[in-house]
Amino acid sequence: MAGVTRIACLFVPDADPRGQPALLEIALRHSPSVEDGGPGIVYLDLGGLERLWGGEHEIAARLQRAARESGAAARVGIAGSRAAARFAARAGGDVAITIVPPGRDASWLGPAPLALLGLGPEMAARLDRWGVRTLGELADLPSRGLAERLGGEGLRLQRLARGEDAPPLRLWTPPPLFEESADCPWGVEALEPLGDLLAGLAEMLCARLRRHELSADAFEWTCRLAGRAVHEGACAPAAPLADPAAAAALLRASLAARPPAAAVEAVTLRARPVRVGNVQPRLDEPPRPSPRLLTAALARLSALVEASGIGSSVLLDSHRPDAHQMTPFVLVSRDAVIPSSSPALAMRRIRPPLSADVVLHAGAPARVRAAGLAGRIVAGAGPWRVSGEWWTEAPFVQDEWDVELDDGTLCRLARDARGWRLDAVYD
Amino acid sequence: MATSTESLPPPGWDREGLDGLLNAFPEGRLSEIVGPRSSGGGSLLLALLARAASRGGLVALVDGADAFNPETAARAGLDLSALLWVRCGGRLQPAWSAADLLARCPGFAAVALDLGTTWGTGPAAAPPSFGVRLQRAAAGNAAVVVVRAPRHLTGSAAALVISVRRVRARWIGAPRRTRLGGLVSEARVLRSRFDPRLAEPGRAWLIEWRA
Repeated sequence: MAGVTRIACLFVPDADPRGQPALLEIALRHSPSVEDGGPGIVYLDLGGLERLWGGEHEIAARLQRAARESGAAARVGIAGSRAAARFAARAGGDVAITIVPPGRDASWLGPAPLALLGLGPEMAARLDRWGVRTLGELADLPSRGLAERLGGEGLRLQRLARGEDAPPLRLWTPPPLFEESADCPWGVEALEPLGDLLAGLAEMLCARLRRHELSADAFEWTCRLAGRAVHEGACAPAAPLADPAAAAALLRASLAARPPAAAVEAVTLRARPVRVGNVQPRLDEPPRPSPRLLTAALARLSALVEASGIGSSVLLDSHRPDAHQMTPFVLVSRDAVIPSSSPALAMRRIRPPLSADVVLHAGAPARVRAAGLAGRIVAGAGPWRVSGEWWTEAPFVQDEWDVELDDGTLCRLARDARGWRLDAVYD
Repeated sequence: MATSTESLPPPGWDREGLDGLLNAFPEGRLSEIVGPRSSGGGSLLLALLARAASRGGLVALVDGADAFNPETAARAGLDLSALLWVRCGGRLQPAWSAADLLARCPGFAAVALDLGTTWGTGPAAAPPSFGVRLQRAAAGNAAVVVVRAPRHLTGSAAALVISVRRVRARWIGAPRRTRLGGLVSEARVLRSRFDPRLAEPGRAWLIEWRA
């Protein structure tokens, strides 16, 4: 088959775009020339692969088997062009492998329905009005007249219908793996030298990232401990970075938060690369912390307090009291907004709520005593029932009172099946 | 919501409103908000952070008492994604260090240290010369650095000290109260190095915080 181009199309119907890298990796294991055709579609150039993998049917079967092992139900079409191979894969029906013999692309495509072209509704309706229903009928139309009526799009569709697919494959190359390792068979037991080791790896990774004009938005480290146990950790900077000093500070803090339990014999550091465009700040934009300094500050903060307690809060769509979630703090540009004109009364949450002794009078709280707070209630409003999530395993229901004590303290009391609690203080 | 005549300040009070008070917080200097619990000090701190964030800046809150309530902060107009919240879990020792660290990180519009009211170990645990050190940390940057504490603890280091006291609570519903409507508090400037007129005797801001 020397001199004849043969293209295989690996096609997964209704594919999840997240599975595309796995599909590309499968293709790359079989051919060095691979093109990413969009979600669920990968093209391979089969030139010269017979000696390696066998005939076309064997290659197709291998591709299909590898895709199945990765959890994808793939079809394979092989033809002389991308379009014909894709049509063959899509039109296969129950047959998972469809091979169009060399030189037979046009005749094979002729009776195929126009739907294989994936036309928009307008174009499909127009061709249907002309009585064009197969690829062969579209291929036979005079090109000049087609161009006059449908423009460049019409000519493009006709070329596809004829199986003409002249441009070479746009080769896909896997993203570079940003990973560095170091062996220390003598075993590193102290955190400081281990941090130095990670800092060295971070310096090499950051140098490689900068050469590719990339930054890292996450780091993962893996330590192989004495006794073959594995100790892992991850950390993410507030903004993508390629600065070795900031990365080293972040990794040291991450390591200090999750110290290994035994001597480390090997350590591996991986960075997740992202491309960050250089955007010039606007003149009216307020200053923001530099990613390098902020990352270093966050790394040092995580050595002072729990890393899970540093970040931004996001309110949850729930009526449960104090329903929020911590998320990593990220640097994003914000526009100025009109500030709220109505000053709001701040509530200070007591976490966890304090158990309280409450004396009732005529069904309403009259006195309260809790750790750090006691007094007669001079005014109050309630109860307001708060309940929800009864459909989950952790439903909540409680009655709430806002009360004013004789010393002026404004606070929120709550009562549920466990008793009275001091939930919050207004301030 | 209409403002009742009862909530209007007496003549001579609140001449510049809350904005006037918030404008008094100097950049690159240490400020302090002092007042017992339920005095409105926490609300003033929240208003300061919300205003700084509304201008597009980033703000940081070192929450010594782990008492920050995101729900009321959002209601006060604070963009939660612009807030770096550092929860110290009721431990004040790391809170001092965290505030010092963030005050030295350039780029924030405001850095606040909230020491709570009376819960936790209390501000009695403040390290010696804490105020001076925080003032030095603040001096290099353009951030408003503010400490909220139940009593004055930064000594002479703070360029602005505001004392807040509770005037009255406002309840809604008559004759039977149905809900808390808000809190009226009075703020006085005890010290202002940049505008001593703010600290003139008899000058006060009466602010109504809506619940």
